[in-house]
Amino acid sequence: MFRNYLKIAWRNLARNKSFSLLNILGLSIGLAVTALILLWINFELGFNQFHEKKDRIYEVYNKYEIDGEIWTWNSTPKIMAAAIKKDYPEVEAVSRYFYNNTFLFSKDEKRIKSTGTMVDPDFLKIFTFPLVEGDVETVLEDVNSVVITEDFAKKMFGNEPAVGKIVKVDNTDSFKVTGILKNLPSNTEFNFEFLMPWKYVKQKGWDDENWGNNSVATYVLLKEGVNYVAFSKKIKSLRKSYDKGAPDMVTFLYPYTRSHLYSEFENGEEIGGLIDLIRLFGIIAIIVLVIACINFMNLSTARSEKRAKEVGVRKAVGAQKKALIGQFLGESILISFLSALLALAIVLIVLPSFSEQVVGRELTIEWANPWFWIAAISIILITGILAGSYPALYLSAFRPSSVLKGTFNKKNTLITPRKVLVITQFSIAIILITSTIVVKKQIDNVQNRQLGYNKNSLIYIQMEGDIEKNYEIIKSELLDSGIASSITKTNSPITESWSNTWGFEWKGKDEENKTLVHRLVADETVVRTMGLQLIEGRDFDLKKYATDSTAAILNESAVSLMKLKNPIGQTIKDNGTDWRIVGVVKDFVFNSPFQKIEPMVIEGARAWFNVIHIKFNLERNMSDNLAFTKTIFNKYNPEYPFNYEFVDADYAEKFVTEERTEKLASLFSLLTILISCLGLFGLASYMAENRIKEIGIRKVLGASVSGITTLLSKDFLKLVLISIVIAIPISWYAMNQWLEEFDFRIAISWQIFAIAGILAMAIAFLTVSYQAIKAAKSNPVKSLRTE
Amino acid sequence: MLLQLNNIFKWVNSGGQRIFLLKDINLNVEEGEFISIMGPSGSGKSTLLNVIGMLDGFEEGEYHFLDESVHSLKEKHRANLYKEYIGFVFQSYHLLDDLTVKENLEMPLLYKKFKGSERKAMVADMLDRFNIVGKKDLFPAQLSGGQQQLVGIARALISNPKLILADEPTGNLNSKQGEEIMELFKQLNEEGVTIIQVTHSEKNAEYGSRIINLLDGRMI
Repeated sequence: MFRNYLKIAWRNLARNKSFSLLNILGLSIGLAVTALILLWINFELGFNQFHEKKDRIYEVYNKYEIDGEIWTWNSTPKIMAAAIKKDYPEVEAVSRYFYNNTFLFSKDEKRIKSTGTMVDPDFLKIFTFPLVEGDVETVLEDVNSVVITEDFAKKMFGNEPAVGKIVKVDNTDSFKVTGILKNLPSNTEFNFEFLMPWKYVKQKGWDDENWGNNSVATYVLLKEGVNYVAFSKKIKSLRKSYDKGAPDMVTFLYPYTRSHLYSEFENGEEIGGLIDLIRLFGIIAIIVLVIACINFMNLSTARSEKRAKEVGVRKAVGAQKKALIGQFLGESILISFLSALLALAIVLIVLPSFSEQVVGRELTIEWANPWFWIAAISIILITGILAGSYPALYLSAFRPSSVLKGTFNKKNTLITPRKVLVITQFSIAIILITSTIVVKKQIDNVQNRQLGYNKNSLIYIQMEGDIEKNYEIIKSELLDSGIASSITKTNSPITESWSNTWGFEWKGKDEENKTLVHRLVADETVVRTMGLQLIEGRDFDLKKYATDSTAAILNESAVSLMKLKNPIGQTIKDNGTDWRIVGVVKDFVFNSPFQKIEPMVIEGARAWFNVIHIKFNLERNMSDNLAFTKTIFNKYNPEYPFNYEFVDADYAEKFVTEERTEKLASLFSLLTILISCLGLFGLASYMAENRIKEIGIRKVLGASVSGITTLLSKDFLKLVLISIVIAIPISWYAMNQWLEEFDFRIAISWQIFAIAGILAMAIAFLTVSYQAIKAAKSNPVKSLRTE
Repeated sequence: MLLQLNNIFKWVNSGGQRIFLLKDINLNVEEGEFISIMGPSGSGKSTLLNVIGMLDGFEEGEYHFLDESVHSLKEKHRANLYKEYIGFVFQSYHLLDDLTVKENLEMPLLYKKFKGSERKAMVADMLDRFNIVGKKDLFPAQLSGGQQQLVGIARALISNPKLILADEPTGNLNSKQGEEIMELFKQLNEEGVTIIQVTHSEKNAEYGSRIINLLDGRMI
């Protein structure tokens, strides 16, 4: 029986090649999209889940009420870990995680920069990062011991054994390699290449016992069998006895397994996080698959006239409805299976670029995982059944007595369920088209935003090694040679703000005003180097005005926040220093270009520096400039490789998330349109076939080709029109929701809907008209003779 | 007694009016009969055949088939009944274009859940009996009309039905092919198969042992 079904299904496919191709192509695109999204979801759900003791691992969080709003954050005082270990016997292990540091490792002639951190010895007992070599109990015991990953060991020592080797760190301290870690998997949030013991933090004098300095992460491993809820109550008031500054700060343990997917807090409550994106994509996966299934249903039922006779005959020789439903479902499962093979090929081709462009991490197919096969087979079966159910019920319900007599009613127009399906498809397609246009316009708009500074030929360099010491000589050599036109050192790159406070004081400040004001610290010529636009006053110039080390330049937002009438010459207070205002600049974008510009004060050279900005001489060749700059830095900072960032490239990074959204939106709308058009093409061809006699008669009576083309296309275009009407309010609402997130945003204009509507109409018309024109041009003598 | 129709009425409602397709049909068919149903177009011949073949229902009356009351049977039982005892032959053959001759013959057996080996034997037997062994792997489109009808009859006979219902079996054939088919029916009837055929042709009707004339759904 089954073989017979398979045989007839196969022959049906082979006989109607174009139909089969449309069906399989549409379904395989849908399946490929679903598979890609599922692979990604699977990756994200598995993130951080590989630790053997994951159910007992917690990260320490704090909650604190400020101005009626509860703030939640996960950095803790360095001293807290010791307090937890001392006070709570339920805790098996505690480890701090110092923030990531980049150190220069050297051994003989080899110099490699590497990122890692300092942790407590328990770290490797809490998390499952297995050691290939070394003993967990002792690797981090000695202050000058370091554990490195396999990859780092290979980079540093080649194929020689690494354990026992001595390396110099930042040219000052010697470390002995005591252990080799297995390379970190791609699905962990940690990205260290080495671990050093916390003792090193102490030795360097970076440790402190200040409860007000919340700066490191603290991880806790509870003993087996400890009740989390009961323990939460106990640890809540941890700070009461220690933290005199903020005794009401609540301490709580956040389950580590939730950290990747949830960890967004609002007013003290977990409100989601990445999981929202995962749900959204899950829905998109289902929508695309459903659209592909709709195609299948439409094409199959449109072909029903062809198969009506078969149903009649089979019923007449004894087939029951059940058997026929089985047969048709079997066919759709076969098609689904073939589509899955094609989809797999598509996935294998697309996966590398999908991983890189969209996910940002490497996704792999786990061939050996039985769940992969179970999931794949279930999807094939579900798709086959979903796509085949309606055609199967529809076809198997034919009455043999009417079908075989030939009085089976051929319906020329699209019947209602099929109409609904086409409208659904096109509504989704139009929603996606409008979304793509809105996202693209929003990004273009922001990219064209007046930055307020000039990012061309501007680079910045982190101050490390001897740069600080030799800054003046580096600066004068670069300026004298004519390579650079202006150089300024600052506390942060111009593209970011690393410092802010609500502690500024100015005349007439309302005590309740807690507006954050950003700080940029610069030595001199900051306006010139960055190309800021001065409205009033002047740039910093330490040579002319020695007091400029306590001068300040404000942006317009800061001026309006402080309600300063004549800002130049007035003083404001920050950190106990009086800053005299010497200039006002136009607002410039320093954080997210999507948000409004916040108040900023550029402070003079009294404070600290991290970065050097170099504005190159525009009249010279950029690569020569860079080459020369490199030789100078190598001369005055010989131990460190020369690293620099272009400000314009750095700025472009700010668009990564939105550009990813745009890429995804355009990808999915393209695919949806493609699938929908495949379906429409199929429907049009069958309708043209069914109406061949009508077309013949009309032509004999004098109808023109264009008249018939219009006649045939009209029905379909009507459906697209209805889809447009349905899609506009939905996409308007959805896109407004999306835009809400941005301060700097476009207004949704009617033109966007017009473009999307016209585009959808045009695509539908092109798809349908090919068949319509073909039918209209056919010779009526031929078509009428077939009767 | 093979089957018995008592006061069968069949109608459709059209525009508030009841249009009768069959009116008060009473018919007894004994095993081994060869009946020809005649009448002008639209007189209800095919409808009557479909009712007898249980492909179509009726509004009023009683239908007994081998002591089973068809009118009160559930759909499933009815299907089992005709699957077991009835074979159909159509004017336009109604072979499945996508299946070969052999596979077309095999199809009814699939629905009766015969085993693979049994099916093979029965198909081979039938091909042999109708002398179409050489054609077994051809598709219907590669056969002449007469040959296609031969396959159609073979398919109807393959599961040894008691009753063959033939709706103008020679309607699409030329006279020589038609004659051969009628000879075949006659021979089958002599072997004990009950046959009811619908026909327009007086000559073909003569093959039967009894002629029923229909006019406007009524037996005359």
